[in-house]
Amino acid sequence: IAAKGGMAALTYEGCNFLRQRLVLSTLSGKRVKIRNIRSRDDEPGLRDFEASFIRLLDKVTNGSRIEINQTGTALFYQPGLLCGGSVEHECNVQRSIGYYLEALIMLAPFMKNPLKAILKGVTNDPIDPSVDLLKATAVPLMKMFGINGEGLEIKVVKRGIAPRGGGEVHFSCPVCRALKPVLLTDPGKIKRIRGTAYSVRVSPQMANRIVDSARSILNKFIPDIYIYTDHMKGASSGKSPGFGLTLVAETVNGTLLSAELASTPQGQGDPVLPEELGKNCAKLLLEEIYRGGCVDSNNQSLALLYMTLDQQDVSKTLLGPLSPYTIEFLRHIRDFFQIMFKIETQKADEDEQKGGDKVLMTCVGVGYSNISKSHK
Amino acid sequence: MEGREQKRHEQKRHQQKHSGPKAEKKKKRKQREQDAEQEQDERKRNPRAFAVRSAVRMARNFHRTQDLKTKKHHIPLVDRTPLEPPPIVVVVMGPPKVGKSTLIRCLIKNYTRQKLADICGPVTIVSGKKRRLTFIECNNDINTMIDLAKVADLVLMLIDASFGFEMETFEFLNICQVHGFPRVMGVLTHLDSFKNNKTLNKTKKRLKHRFWTEVYQGAKLFYLSGMVYGEYQTREVKNLGRFISVMKFRPLVWQTSHPYVVADRMEDLTDPEAIRLNPKCDRTVSLYGYLRGTFLKNKCQIHIPGVGDFSVADASFLPDPCPLPEMLKKRALNERERLLYAPMAGVGGLVYDKDAVYIDMPGSHVSHQQEEVRPTTELVQSLMGTHTTLDAKMAASKVSLFTGTAALTPEEVSGKQGPVESRVWDAETQRERRKAIFAEEDDEGSDEEDSEEEDNEELESEEEETEEEAEQEKKEVREERKAMKEDAPPIKRQKLEERAQVSGAVVEMPVFADSEDELEKSEGEEETEEEESDEDDEDEKEVEEEEMEEEEKKKKDRKGTAPPDSGHCSEEDTDSDDEVEDDDSEAEVDEEEEEDEDSSEVEEQENVKAPGKEAAQSKMLPADEEVKTDVEEKTEPGLETAGALRWKEDLAQKATEAYLRQQRAAPNVRKLVYGAVVEEENTDNEEEELGGLFRVSRPEKSKKIRADAVDCSRFQPDAGHDWDQEEMLASIRDCFVTGKWEGDKDASTLLKEDDELYGDFEDLETGEVHKGENHDDDEENEEEEAPLVKVDDDEAQKNKRLEKKKRLKERFNAEYDDGDATYFDDLKEEMQKQAELNRAEFEDMDDETRVQYEGFRPGMYVRLEIPALPCEFVTNFDPHYPIILGGLGASEGNIGYLQMRLKKHRWYNRILKTRDPLILSLGWRRFQTMPLYHIEDHNGRHRLLKYTPEHMHCGASIWGPITPQGTGFLAVQSVAGTQANFRIAATGVVLDLDKSVTIVKKLKLTGYPYKIFKNTCFIQGMFNTVLEVAKFEGASIRTVSGLKGQIKKALRTPPGAFRATFEDRALMSDIVFLRSWYPVSVPQLYNPVTSLLMPVGQKDAWTGMRTVGQLKHDLGIKNKPNKDSLYKPVVRQKRHFNPLHIPKTLQKALPFKSKPKNQEAKGKTPLDLRRPAVIREPHERKVAALLTALGTVYNHKNKKAQAEQHMKHKDFLKQKEKEEVVKQKRLKEERKKIYRAMGQKEKKKSLKG
Repeated sequence: IAAKGGMAALTYEGCNFLRQRLVLSTLSGKRVKIRNIRSRDDEPGLRDFEASFIRLLDKVTNGSRIEINQTGTALFYQPGLLCGGSVEHECNVQRSIGYYLEALIMLAPFMKNPLKAILKGVTNDPIDPSVDLLKATAVPLMKMFGINGEGLEIKVVKRGIAPRGGGEVHFSCPVCRALKPVLLTDPGKIKRIRGTAYSVRVSPQMANRIVDSARSILNKFIPDIYIYTDHMKGASSGKSPGFGLTLVAETVNGTLLSAELASTPQGQGDPVLPEELGKNCAKLLLEEIYRGGCVDSNNQSLALLYMTLDQQDVSKTLLGPLSPYTIEFLRHIRDFFQIMFKIETQKADEDEQKGGDKVLMTCVGVGYSNISKSHK
Repeated sequence: MEGREQKRHEQKRHQQKHSGPKAEKKKKRKQREQDAEQEQDERKRNPRAFAVRSAVRMARNFHRTQDLKTKKHHIPLVDRTPLEPPPIVVVVMGPPKVGKSTLIRCLIKNYTRQKLADICGPVTIVSGKKRRLTFIECNNDINTMIDLAKVADLVLMLIDASFGFEMETFEFLNICQVHGFPRVMGVLTHLDSFKNNKTLNKTKKRLKHRFWTEVYQGAKLFYLSGMVYGEYQTREVKNLGRFISVMKFRPLVWQTSHPYVVADRMEDLTDPEAIRLNPKCDRTVSLYGYLRGTFLKNKCQIHIPGVGDFSVADASFLPDPCPLPEMLKKRALNERERLLYAPMAGVGGLVYDKDAVYIDMPGSHVSHQQEEVRPTTELVQSLMGTHTTLDAKMAASKVSLFTGTAALTPEEVSGKQGPVESRVWDAETQRERRKAIFAEEDDEGSDEEDSEEEDNEELESEEEETEEEAEQEKKEVREERKAMKEDAPPIKRQKLEERAQVSGAVVEMPVFADSEDELEKSEGEEETEEEESDEDDEDEKEVEEEEMEEEEKKKKDRKGTAPPDSGHCSEEDTDSDDEVEDDDSEAEVDEEEEEDEDSSEVEEQENVKAPGKEAAQSKMLPADEEVKTDVEEKTEPGLETAGALRWKEDLAQKATEAYLRQQRAAPNVRKLVYGAVVEEENTDNEEEELGGLFRVSRPEKSKKIRADAVDCSRFQPDAGHDWDQEEMLASIRDCFVTGKWEGDKDASTLLKEDDELYGDFEDLETGEVHKGENHDDDEENEEEEAPLVKVDDDEAQKNKRLEKKKRLKERFNAEYDDGDATYFDDLKEEMQKQAELNRAEFEDMDDETRVQYEGFRPGMYVRLEIPALPCEFVTNFDPHYPIILGGLGASEGNIGYLQMRLKKHRWYNRILKTRDPLILSLGWRRFQTMPLYHIEDHNGRHRLLKYTPEHMHCGASIWGPITPQGTGFLAVQSVAGTQANFRIAATGVVLDLDKSVTIVKKLKLTGYPYKIFKNTCFIQGMFNTVLEVAKFEGASIRTVSGLKGQIKKALRTPPGAFRATFEDRALMSDIVFLRSWYPVSVPQLYNPVTSLLMPVGQKDAWTGMRTVGQLKHDLGIKNKPNKDSLYKPVVRQKRHFNPLHIPKTLQKALPFKSKPKNQEAKGKTPLDLRRPAVIREPHERKVAALLTALGTVYNHKNKKAQAEQHMKHKDFLKQKEKEEVVKQKRLKEERKKIYRAMGQKEKKKSLKG
């Protein structure tokens, strides 16, 4: 890492965690240099989707400087100020919109103008968290940190399945001056499970089959299950066929745990049966519940980022086991904000059957305030 | 009878009336009074006065009271004041010769009974049981005033009453106002110069009221009436001191949101060799001071006003040099607790560093030549004083702490001539302190013993937790102590590489510290035993060396017999071991080294054991292959030494020890995520690192895979979990509302409790009788809780009861308070809770761990190491100028465009010009920049202004450091020297930050028609190319005469010409113009004021960029003015008026008086009267010409003759005048004679008479 002073740029290697680095760089105002991006690869340099992400970042910021070398193996990023406003972006179909949206959600509250982004591309694919998932989990999480008010929403206007996409998502977020500290230590018990089964350019019956199979597993635990079927037709159905399921478990304390599964994209690997998918997705949800915590595994880094950017108060969040992505994110937070989390493991109680070990994350925020917002 | 009569005679007695009107009146009055006593309430006594007259007025009154009430509310903020606050910064400010130093001296004397000759730098004292003060004297340099206003908590504003207010006072007040108003207390001095008591009182009153208008109504103004033996009166100083002691301070926004340190000590840490080679090399400097404001993060960015932006290389906290008294029972401080700390003024002989204690021994041993070079850096001096090679220096470093003294051998030190270092284990701070002990001090020794006892106690308590660990630790501590009992100096004599080795090894240890491994423990014990035996005969080096060899052998053996999974150990690890061995064989080894070696071995052992425990760790965290490898990476010791600062090596060891202790307790997850923190510092220069945290021991490929892996936040599920199995399903059963609930939330238990509470009742409708199921319940309970009851029956019952009580109370409170709980109260409560959480969260941690999570707390005494400071900072160091280290928030170190609202100060007597350089004080910084002034038009356009408005706000855009919106700033035109006038040119506030600006200025493009059709017109001269025209197609244009029109289309020829239409026919003479707005760019000048780098004595002489006006003035350049602007003599044409013409009708009506007379009708003379034109014959013409010529000659002659005549006459007059003068003179003479004669006659006559 070699954080040689504040003036010098932070240096990293490899293309992994590119989003984290660029997002944190933008928020902290520290320059970042990434070298050896796929330097040993057959196709060295940045991929199209990464270039698309950088372009999106350029659209929402003002005055940022991005330098990429000839082969695309080195990247220098000098962040500008977040300006927000209306942004329309054609996301590369190699990754789903979730890839872009995750980063955008991290930045959105700290813009100069409320962000109104129209993202076009793949809404659901098996790699990234889908738009539905983020809509169901990230938005409530943002509300917990005091980002509320008019127009915080993710709207799926058109659904586009991998590989060809054609979906459209509207994301709007108000700006906020400072986040408020949270105390999410007790997840509470799960009171209901909701979900969306979507199918596009296939028989509408597929969604029903998914729902039935998922219910067959989840019904053992709780009766309050409702899975919406979402079949999009015509113009709003994108360019590729596919189906999938998103499940969200809501606890009595309002925290959410989620899981999702999407069908294999057309022409990539073996096709899956909707029954199988439904079952597997339900099992994924059980896995997620086993991990537990107040924030689901996909949004761990988002929650930790917001905790870091809090006012100078103690925030606490109970998480399930940290994902590798989150662990790296924690390291990056230390590099960019000099914040270390107090990490305490809470061993699972022998008597209670509440899944695996949990991690209690505690930190004192940096006292970040939105410096982009105009003061008039 | 007689007596009575007598009395009656003497004086008539008063007789009280018992009847009649008077008595009645009195009775009534008495009655009324009684009534009043009975009903004190005025409402009852005088109900009419309180009757509702008007509902409207009543409502208004109600509103008003409510308004007043809510006005008192402030937005509740989380109370973030530290438990042990830093000393309060008291800035003593005033014009020169007003008595600042005297006042500080008197106050210090008042508080500490000590005299300080020279007030040099900040002086910290303990003023009370809970309060410390730092006095800083503020000189009249505007730089200092600005800097100190930003850090001041309290300003003592000294005013010379005999003179009145001076400009500095007002300037300082204005500076304060801009940067958040700290408390200001005025102090009037020189009151003894008033002879007249009345004028004194008048002056006091006048000054007080002026002061009030500046600060606030009722601001405290203190009077120091006179001097006694050069000091203020003790009583008055004492009063002032009391005022300061009880004063409350307001939190200022900037101060509470930024960490800052007012440095009270400075040490140059630069390698003397580097300085020798290049005296102008960048310096590494450590600065010390109390941390104020908020938490300071290590490696953060700071700004030093007057120097620039830097990043902190290393921050650490030191024991408080001026601590508050620990016991709070007493009423007053005793003499020992009245501490004074002012290293810059040379007070506080002991100076603590991170690893060492410096003792200032004035005069006796410090060589004077060096003192000239650098008086404050003892450390550097000591190194410079040796004049030996580097190796020799290193070898001798233990003894060269004080220059001039002969090299101290251990024997000499043990002879206790000078202060001896002794290591004391501080239980509170969890670190070892090095104490300086003098031979005379016996009680200190006893203290030490005490502390040792405490240590033991603590250790015992630890023992309870984990016996094995504790035992091991205890032994270590004992070893350490043994080492301590030996002489201190040998500790420092060490080979560097080994040190680093050790530190690296120590770092890795904690990773496995909390694992309970038998093998590990036994090995550790072995080691310690060996060591103890070693220590017995440590004096003989040969023996030592032998033992060393033995140990090495052992080590090798161990390596050989390492568990099979030692393959996880990296190659580098073994390399490092080899290195250690090499060094060992070469080095002269003492017992300290051995000790370290041992510990490192222990750790190596553990290291070897590592992989076995990973499984346990990975259970807690995702069993990811990558993560596992992280652990491995982290376990490797740092290879490289930290740097060239060899004599500092002890620091590293200290730090590592600290980490060792603290990480022993921490769980493994932390290490998994963050690794060992110290290691990071050592691996800076390594290429083979990944994410900066870990060195990679795996082959290149695996690393690449990770670095270039798919960037995805998804958390892949654990393959080990099979959700088809019932056990797995059962393992999350309780996560659902359908599962089992906790005891206190379970519906059935709650119901049961309710029953217990309310007992049996009868349902009247049904007639059913519900009984309190005491007996059944008890039976059930007994059945269920039989095993529990056996264990601790009473305890559980008691707890249960208490809990129930608590819950009931909560419920009651919730219901009771519900009525009048407002939003404000809720908010306040929330903040209160947050504050409690903030306090409690890290309370029971030791400081070293806490610092990592929170950062350094305000109130701590910190040491900040700053590399790459310009050498002038050290060479031109002047303790009279404050050094402030202001922490910068996220992205406050960047530079961008700032949009601000600015107003020229009403006392500044000039307006400011756009693009003239201006020095701004914004945030921590002072910098020169070139603002553009602008004003917002009604449509939101920012129009450029050439000058600031006289009495109005305007916008200003600058290129400067990003500073949060809402931050105030002030502007001065120059900081050099003192000027006659008020120096603050403008004040304002930051509104907006951006990376681009939108300021425009008006631009009029003009063109001329060259062809005109009806309403269409061809215009040229406005543009140069067709492309330019194309850009403006459709734009509206205007002619000077006011015709509006539009640009239609470009013409091919001439280039830049276009067709335009107007609302009417334009004229060829019209000028057509197009009004447009041209964006202006803000000049990118950001020039920090580096006043602290100026030579001593010239620190107030910093000049930056000069304005154009100054440049012209200085260089004597004069503008060539526009010719048209020059003044020319005005030549006016004579005006010709036409004769007045009165119409005939009007003439008729006019009275005779006003009728025009003698005015023949002009124009038509009848033909007969008209004289014919005379046309002369050539001959006649000649004759006429001749005649005129003759006439001319004649006239000329005449004129000449006349002139001659005139001249002659003039001469004649002159002549005559001359004659007249002579005549007059003669006459005067004659008259004189006559009068003289007459006078004499008269005289004679009188004499005769």
